Amino acid sequence: MSFSSYLNGKREDCAALVKALSRRFSYVSVLGTDVRAAVYRADRKSSAAQDGAGECGFVVKMHDGRAFFEYSLDDISGDKEALAEKIAAAVAADPALESRMISTAALEDPPMKEDFVRETDFDSYDDAQLLGICRELSAQLCAADEKVLNAIAMIQPYVVSKLFVTKNRELTQHYGWANGYLLAIYQDGKMVQARHVEGSDKLSEIIDNLRGSTDEVLDLARHLATATPIEPGVYDVITDSSITGLIAHEAFGHGVEMDQFVKDRAMAKHCVGQYVASPITNMHDGAAAAHSVASYFFDDDGVLAHDTQIIKDGILVAGLSDLASATQLGTVPTGNGRRDSYKRKAYSRMTNTFFCPGTDKLEDMIASVKHGYMLFETNNGMEDPKNWQIQCTAEYGIEIVDGKLTDHYVSPVVMSGSVPELLKSISMVSDTFKVIGSGMCGKGYKEWVRVSDGGPNLKVRVKLG
Amino acid sequence: MKTVIELLRDDPALSGWRVTEKATASYELFFVHRKLETVRATDTVSTGVTVYVDHDGKRGDSSFPVYRSMSEADVAAKIKSAVARARLVDNAPYELPAGGTLSAALPTDLDKEDPKMLAMRIADAVYAADDLPGGSINALEIFLYRDTVRVRNSRGVDKTQTVHRVMIEAIPTFTDDKQSVELYEDHRFTAFDPEKVTAEIAEKMREVRDRAAAQKPATPMKVNVVLRAKEIKELVGELAYDLNYGSVYTHANLHVIGDDLQENGTGDKLTVTMKAIVEGSENAAYFDEDGTELTDTRVLENGKVTAYFGSNRFGQYLGVEKPSGALRCCRVEPGTLTEEQLAAAPYVECVSLSGLQLDLYNDYIGGEIRLAYYFDGEKTVPVTGISMSGKLSAVLAGMRLSEKTEISGAYDGPAKLLMQDIAIL
Repeated sequence: MSFSSYLNGKREDCAALVKALSRRFSYVSVLGTDVRAAVYRADRKSSAAQDGAGECGFVVKMHDGRAFFEYSLDDISGDKEALAEKIAAAVAADPALESRMISTAALEDPPMKEDFVRETDFDSYDDAQLLGICRELSAQLCAADEKVLNAIAMIQPYVVSKLFVTKNRELTQHYGWANGYLLAIYQDGKMVQARHVEGSDKLSEIIDNLRGSTDEVLDLARHLATATPIEPGVYDVITDSSITGLIAHEAFGHGVEMDQFVKDRAMAKHCVGQYVASPITNMHDGAAAAHSVASYFFDDDGVLAHDTQIIKDGILVAGLSDLASATQLGTVPTGNGRRDSYKRKAYSRMTNTFFCPGTDKLEDMIASVKHGYMLFETNNGMEDPKNWQIQCTAEYGIEIVDGKLTDHYVSPVVMSGSVPELLKSISMVSDTFKVIGSGMCGKGYKEWVRVSDGGPNLKVRVKLG
Repeated sequence: MKTVIELLRDDPALSGWRVTEKATASYELFFVHRKLETVRATDTVSTGVTVYVDHDGKRGDSSFPVYRSMSEADVAAKIKSAVARARLVDNAPYELPAGGTLSAALPTDLDKEDPKMLAMRIADAVYAADDLPGGSINALEIFLYRDTVRVRNSRGVDKTQTVHRVMIEAIPTFTDDKQSVELYEDHRFTAFDPEKVTAEIAEKMREVRDRAAAQKPATPMKVNVVLRAKEIKELVGELAYDLNYGSVYTHANLHVIGDDLQENGTGDKLTVTMKAIVEGSENAAYFDEDGTELTDTRVLENGKVTAYFGSNRFGQYLGVEKPSGALRCCRVEPGTLTEEQLAAAPYVECVSLSGLQLDLYNDYIGGEIRLAYYFDGEKTVPVTGISMSGKLSAVLAGMRLSEKTEISGAYDGPAKLLMQDIAIL
């Protein structure tokens, strides 16, 4: 596995296009992307081995001392002067809008030339092996219990190559990630679906972990078949790492994406330096903050990856920014400018977002709950950064009675309420830590990027329904 | 240089092929408050190729993208690799759709005007509603798209359809001396009516003002809850997804033909037709990604499952003579609920949810309510900070559907759905 030969051959074309457009704009960057993905999937009746959702193209970003301009295209071959003229004409605004543009400071372009690489083991496996492993896992689950109606096993590796060029910079990065999934469709009185998800840049790790998880998936399916609805109420709750990550992501992560500060869409803008969580709470985000699905070397604005501490001992200390929002706010960009693809705009986005571990033991945390639930596995969540409401859905919960986990499963479990109340209710933080790199995150209802989140177990008090 | 089609036609290893090409041109404006922050344009083409290889009584397939950057040798290598992958895949045999040519555009008026001028007029229409004291539109994103999709296959399908569409994301905000609140709203259309856009945004401005005034009611309580078209669309979409050929073939479906989703029901019966076209919807289409001509299909009639729907391959697996194609719009027949009947008992009418939570397997419906109107039998007040939860089967059995209908994106059906005795916390 090596950096895209196609993009490698486009370094000079990018530089020439930057030069041609620099006669019209004070700042020009070209981002080239070549993302190759594959999907291997098997269930009881069907299988697939094919390319997944990749991309290959370019996005040109320009700044004229006032507003930002972007143009997305598939190829930059040919006459650069003619292409520059075409791009400038395409991104021109109606003259009536000229007077309504923002005005910002000039963008900096510090010199740098660097090639970043993180190796994977993807080349050690061929199509037949990966599809064979999916078939083996699906068959194993189907054979284990006649109540398994179907079982899906899937492995999805993808490899990223990106080239970023400005007048003074030429950066490349090359890395990969893979996810593995098991899903059992199980019927015992009622139909349920039990899942297991893995993420790593080592297929060997994913395969080992999937193979070691089939019993766990079946056990979960059997318990979910007995699950009942939860009695709505306010409870003491222990979160697993997945739900901890969901809280970090939805409750606070979106609220510190600083393009929302620019638009006055985030309450957090007014809370920097204030207590927003319990004093035992610490939270980070950054492509360089953890090794997971969103661990790139530079963002889609060419800003190097950061490790940003968002909450320190309960106090909000910093947000996450892309180039455009940092420029408007007069701050330093934090390497969080991310795009759905080269066809879409860069926004301030989370990367690897997590709460830091504390000092409590999980067994002590469970023992401290008279009546409550331990919640597991993210289903979905929705942010509300302006008004700090939260909705997070867990796949299931296990009832805790008198400090002990019972056999009573509840599903699904929707957690909702006020973000500050939830974060200030954090009373115990475990000494364990896990970041889960299998998620996709939208901004509102679009602009999907891969993210991870996680952390330790938390003890919180929250409304469940 | 040989084209992709020529390379596929010349390859004796193939039992069939499909090429889907989507060309998209867009013009996009991003406003921060009333200032223009970013102007974007795109000109891209996505080409997807699927090869089919029959082997050992089975059919294998494999797909790959073709990028503009690829040479003839690159494409030939991708075909070879895909053939090898397809030989590993052993699915039950099926035929590709046969024959049929089409070149059509979905109805629109968005192609009559220069995109730059049109985008500015759309911005003006949105900001025309920004006249409420204390109100503002803190962010506005406008996306103008022209998508041209062409599907060709080895059995003679060659169909092209063009869709012009607009997506607006506007953030109505209200600020007073105590707080600042917002609602997230997106609007999608294929024909531009400035007065309609201004009226819709103005209504959202009034609603966000009400969110600022909203209070948390006394909870817990059990009360009737009204869903509007946007959420009804989600509910019906979830019920319909359970009935697609793929779900049925993989045994992931909960319901089968003949099942009554409203058994012993006392409310309005649910009749749902999956449709190719709902007027004004960006999801409207003449054919799907296989090139299958779309056929409207009634999947629920008076609460009972009457048919499945979906793509060609899984339709054939289920023995459907003429698969419906992957339908993306739906029509729900109106009910009998009048405004007078609605007002006969207290209810909470949801305006903005964090997202309707639906779980067919666990018989659950719920969600966090960001703004609702609570009618206590005499007066109506805005409420917030509450969540609802209920049993989906009970909701379906007792639900009432309004006489009045509304088109909301890909949904054409009752404007309101009344759920009885929902727990509010």
